[in-house]
Amino acid sequence: MTLLELEDVTASYGPVQVLDGVTLSVPENGAVGILGANGAGKTTTLRAISGTVRAGGRIVFDGKDIRGMRPDQVAAQGIAHVPEGRGTLGDLTVRENLMVGAYLRKDRKGIDEDVDYCLDLFPNLRERITSNASALSGGEQQMLAVSRGIMSKPRLMLLDEASLGLAPSTAKNVYDAIRRLRVESGIAMLVVEQNANLAFTLVDTATVLETGRNALTGSSAELKGMDEIRRAYLGG
Amino acid sequence: MARVMTAPASSPSSPSSSWRRRPWVRWATPLLIVAVLAVLPLVGTEFQNETLARIGVFAVAVLGLNVVMGYTGQVSLGQIFFLGFGAYVTAYGVSQDWNIVLVFVLACLLPAAAGLLVALAAARLGGLAIAMVTIALPIVGVPLAKRLNEYTGGSQGLSARFAESPEGSGLYDDQWTLYLVIAIGGVVFLLTHFLVRGKYGRAFAIVKGNENVAASMGISPYRYKVLAFTIASAIGGVSGFLYMLVIQYTSPETMSFGHSIELLAAMVIGGAASIVGSLLGGAFYVLVPQLTNQVDASLTALLQGAILLVVLFVLPGGLASLPRALTRGRRRLRAGRGPAAPPTTPSSTPGSGTAAEQPETERQGHA
Amino acid sequence: MGEFVQLVVDGLSTGSVYAAIALAIVLVHSATGLVNFAQGGMAVLAAYVAWVLTNQSVPLVVAVLASIVFSFVLGAVVERYLMRRFERGDPDTAVVVTIGLLTLITGIAGWLWSYNNQQFPSLFPLDTVSFLGVSISIRSIGTTLSIVAVMIVLQLLFVRTKLGLALRAVAINPQSAAFSGLPVERLLMVGWGLAAVLGAVAGALVAPQLTLTPGMLDNALVYALAAVILGGLTSPVGVVIAAWMIGVLENLAAVYVPFIGHDLKIAVPFILLFVVLVVRPQGLFGRKTVVRV
Repeated sequence: MTLLELEDVTASYGPVQVLDGVTLSVPENGAVGILGANGAGKTTTLRAISGTVRAGGRIVFDGKDIRGMRPDQVAAQGIAHVPEGRGTLGDLTVRENLMVGAYLRKDRKGIDEDVDYCLDLFPNLRERITSNASALSGGEQQMLAVSRGIMSKPRLMLLDEASLGLAPSTAKNVYDAIRRLRVESGIAMLVVEQNANLAFTLVDTATVLETGRNALTGSSAELKGMDEIRRAYLGG
Repeated sequence: MARVMTAPASSPSSPSSSWRRRPWVRWATPLLIVAVLAVLPLVGTEFQNETLARIGVFAVAVLGLNVVMGYTGQVSLGQIFFLGFGAYVTAYGVSQDWNIVLVFVLACLLPAAAGLLVALAAARLGGLAIAMVTIALPIVGVPLAKRLNEYTGGSQGLSARFAESPEGSGLYDDQWTLYLVIAIGGVVFLLTHFLVRGKYGRAFAIVKGNENVAASMGISPYRYKVLAFTIASAIGGVSGFLYMLVIQYTSPETMSFGHSIELLAAMVIGGAASIVGSLLGGAFYVLVPQLTNQVDASLTALLQGAILLVVLFVLPGGLASLPRALTRGRRRLRAGRGPAAPPTTPSSTPGSGTAAEQPETERQGHA
Repeated sequence: MGEFVQLVVDGLSTGSVYAAIALAIVLVHSATGLVNFAQGGMAVLAAYVAWVLTNQSVPLVVAVLASIVFSFVLGAVVERYLMRRFERGDPDTAVVVTIGLLTLITGIAGWLWSYNNQQFPSLFPLDTVSFLGVSISIRSIGTTLSIVAVMIVLQLLFVRTKLGLALRAVAINPQSAAFSGLPVERLLMVGWGLAAVLGAVAGALVAPQLTLTPGMLDNALVYALAAVILGGLTSPVGVVIAAWMIGVLENLAAVYVPFIGHDLKIAVPFILLFVVLVVRPQGLFGRKTVVRV
C-alpha cells in the first residue's frame, strides 16, 4: 500500500529549475532514501512535499493530493518534516520544543507517553529537558528535532541530512535511534542523506537524483555496490 | 486592456529609447532645462512663482532626505529638524546683520554638525534604530525652539527679509526669489547628482543593499551612514536657508512632527533614490495640502496617508518610476495577450482612443 | 519629600503607559521583525472608539472593553491586509508602511472627530490617598497597577498556555514552526492583535490626563521607542524597566533640573539614550547578537 507518491514533480527557485520531474513512492511503514550530489534536488524534493516550495506535478499522500497546501496543512495530514539544519526553536526549552511538536494533538495522555518515549529513545535529552534548545550540542539538537517530529504522531517523517555536521559516532547513534523508532512505531520515512552508507542502514530502497531527475532507483542491496552511486557522489 | 495590443506592430517604445540615446539629445536636454528655468520666473504670475519657489525649497529638503534614506537606506524621521535649524540660523544671522554669505555657510554647517553628532550615536545601532532615534528630533526640536527664545523668538518665531530684488534689475521680488531658489537649489541638485553617481554613491548603495557585504569589501557601513546623514543634514540646512528666503518667517511649528512625516511621505511618493523623485516629492509636499485645503483641510493627513500606502503597494519606486512601470506594464500586456490577439480584433475600433492616449501619459511622466 | 514621592509615583504611572506601548512594539517586532510606528496611532483610534461609546451613554468600563476587542481585530486586520506583503521584504520599506498607517489613522481620527481636544472620562477617581504622610494620586497608582496587571496576564499567556507557546515558536522560526502544524499566518495576526490590545489599554488609561486628540500618543510613541532602544528590542523586562526609568527620570528632571523644566523633559530619554548608545550600543539589557535590529 503506497503512502506517498510523487509523480513528475518539478520546482524552481526563480529562473533556476531545481526539480525536473522527480518520481518516487514511499510504501506504508517503508523507508526510502534520496541520494545524490549537492544541488541534485534532494532537499528541494522534501520541501516540495512539505509545501515550503511551490511545486508542479503530482504529490499524493494517503490518496489525497497535497500539492499546493501550506506547510502547516501538510503537517496536519500527518507528515513531519525534520529540516536540514534541525530547525530547533532555540529560545524554547527542550520540553517546550516537544510541546510545539504536539501542537495539533489533543490527547494529553498520549502526549505525555510520547514525551517519555522520546526521552527513552534519546536519553541525552532527559537530562537537558529544562535547558534552552540553543544550549544543546549539535547531536542533541538533531535528537530534539527528530523528537519534535515524533511528537506530532506522524505517519510519514521527512528526514533531511540528520547526520550533517555530527561526529561519526554521534551520527551513528542518531541513526541507530531512528532505526529503532522505525521498527517500534512503523512511521514511514523519506530520508535525504549525504552519507550513503549511513542511509543504507535505515532505508529499504533509494533513488539517486541527478540535476533534479531520478537517475537510478533500486533496493539498498542493489545500490550498495554500484558504480553509479560512487559517480553521483564523486562527480566522476 | 486588450485594445492596446491592437496598436500597430511597430512598438513605439523602441524607437523612442534609441531617440533618447542620440548624442545631440543628450547634449541639448540640459541646455533646454536651463533655458526653461531661466525663462520660467519671467512668465509666471506672482502666485505661480511663489508656489514654484516653495516647491524648490521642499524639493531640496526631500533631496537631502533622499541622500540618507533613498540612496543609503537609513530611514530618517528627523529631516525637518535640519530644515528648521537652517531656517533659524538664517533668521538669526539676518537679524544680526551678518554678511549673507556667512549666514548661508552657517546655515549649512551648523545643521551638518548637529547631524554629525546625532548620526555618530544613532548609526551605531544600525537598521531601524536610526528611524527610532531621529523621530525624536522634531519632537525635541519644537520645545527646544520655544525655550531658546533669545535666539528663536519663542513661540512667536522670527521673520527675516533679505532677498529684495536688486535695484535696476527690473525684476519683481517674487521673480528674483525664484531665480535665487533655482540657482541655489540647482547647484545642490547638481552636486548631489554627482555625489550619488560617483564613488560615494556606490558605497552608499552597497551599504543600503547589504551592510555585511559592504563591510567585507572594506566599506565601513558606520562611516558611510554617518557621512550620508551629515550630508543630508547639510542639505536640510540649505533648504532651511531657502525656506527663509521664500517664506520669510519661521516658528517652532516649522519643524513639527507632522511636517517631518509629510516630508518622508513626499520622498517615498516622489521616488526614493531618484533626483527627479525629489523634485516630484517637493511638488507633492507643497501642492497636495494646497489642493486639499480647498476641499477640506481636515482631509489632508488622511489623503497623505492613503496616497502613501497606495504608492507603496502599487508603485514602490514612487512617481519617478511611473514611466518605467508603464512601459513594463504595456510590454507585459503585449507579450501576455499577444497570442490572444485575433479574437479581440473586432473591439479595436472603440478602443483606438485609449490606445492613443497611453503614450501621452507616459510622456507627461517624463517631464 | 512628599513632592519627591509624588513625582516618582506619577513617573511610574506615565512610565507604565510608555511601557505598554513599548511592549506592544517589542511583541510585534518579535513576531514579524518590524517596528510598528503606528502602534500609538492604533491605540488612539481605540480610545476614540471608547469615547464615542461613552457619548452614547455606554458605561465607561464596557466602552473600554469594547475598544479592546476593536483593537484586537484592528491589529489582526492590519497584519493580514497591510503588513503581510512587506514582512519578508526590506524592513525599511515596512517601517515606511507603518508611518503611512500612522498618518492615515491620524487623518481618519482628525477627519471624523476633528483635531480638537476631547474630554475622556477617567477610570479612576481623581482623589489622592495618604500613605506614610505622603499624598499620592489614585489615578497614578491605578494606571500603574492596571498596566502591570495586563503585563502579568500577557506573561502568563505566553509562558503557560499553548497559544503563548505557539506565538513564541512562530516568533523564533516561523518556517520550522509550520512543520509542526502551527498556523503561522493566523498566529501572526493574533500577535498583532495582542499588541494592539496592550496599546488600547494604555490609551484608555492615559486619555483622561492628556485629553483625546489624534496626535495624543505621538510623544508617548517617541518615549516608547526610546525605551525599546534602551531596554533592547529582545528584552521585554528590560523595556519595561527602561520605560519606568524614563518616566521617573523625566519627572524628576522637570522639577529639579531648572534648564530642563516641564517643556523640555522629553529630551531626557534622548540624552540618556545618547549616552547609552555611545557606551553600550546593544541597549541596557539587550543581547549583543541581535544588534541587527
